[in-house]
Amino acid sequence: MIPASVQILHWSHYVAACLFALGMFGFLIRKNAIVVLMCIELMLNAVNLILVEVSMRSGHPEGLIFVIFIITVAAAEAAVGLGIILNLYRAKGTVNIDAFRELQG
Amino acid sequence: MREVFFMIFSIFTVLAALGVVVSRHAIFSAFSLVLAFFGLAILYLLWGTSFVSMLQILIYTGAIVVLFVFVVMLLDLKKEETLDSAKTGPLVMAGLSVWFFSLLILRALNRATYFKSTNVEAASDIKSISTLLFSKYLWGFEILSVFLLALIVSACVLARAEYMERKADQ
Repeated sequence: MIPASVQILHWSHYVAACLFALGMFGFLIRKNAIVVLMCIELMLNAVNLILVEVSMRSGHPEGLIFVIFIITVAAAEAAVGLGIILNLYRAKGTVNIDAFRELQG
Repeated sequence: MREVFFMIFSIFTVLAALGVVVSRHAIFSAFSLVLAFFGLAILYLLWGTSFVSMLQILIYTGAIVVLFVFVVMLLDLKKEETLDSAKTGPLVMAGLSVWFFSLLILRALNRATYFKSTNVEAASDIKSISTLLFSKYLWGFEILSVFLLALIVSACVLARAEYMERKADQ
C-alpha cells in the first residue's frame, strides 16, 4: 500500500514529538482543568501516531492493537475525568486548578 | 501528491494542537481539538491504516470531544482564565523533558535496522489486526471490555447531581 520510495511519511515522528511537546506545555501552563484534560488527550494522540508509524514501518500489526487499547483507555479517562471535574465545579464553583488545594493543606 | 498531503496535514495538525493550548476559552480549545483529531486521522490514512483512522474519527471526534463540549457548555465559565499565570519554571522543565523525549524517539526510530520488513500491507490489513486481537491479545481485549463496563457504572455514579449532597449528608 505504501511504496518504499515514499520517505516523507517517515517524518511523522517529528509531528508526534511536536504534538507531545504542545500537550505537555498546555498541561503545565493552563489553569482550566478541562483544557488540561484536552492536553492529556493530545499527548495520547502523539503516542498513537508514533505507534502507527513504528507498526507500519516494521510490518508488525502489534502497534495498531495498542493504538486500539490506548483509544479505549483514553475514552474511559475522559469520561471519568470530566465526571470528577463536574463534581469539583459543583463543590467549588470553578474549574481553576489553583482552587483545588485540599490535599496539600 | 502524498508528500503534499502529508506536509499540509502535519502542519494543520500541529497548528490545531497549538490552538488547543493557547485558546482563551475552553470551547475554542475543544473545537481546535476536533481539527487536530481530524488531521491525525488523515495522517493515519496516509500511512494506510484506514481502520485506525476510522476509529480515530468515530471515538475521538465522535465521542470524546462531544463529551468535552457538553461539559464546557454545562458549566458556567464566565470568569475567563488568562495565560499570564504561567511560571517560567514549569516551562523550562517541560522544554527539557520534551527535548529528552524527542531525542529518545529520534534515536530509536532512525535505526533503519528495525524496519527491514516489507510486508506493510499485511500489517495494516484488518484481518491480521483482528486475528492478533482475538488470539494473542485476547485477555487484554476481554479485560478492557470488563473495564469499560465498570467505567459506565462509575461515570454514571460520579456525574449524578445527588452525589455531592449525599456525601454531604453522611
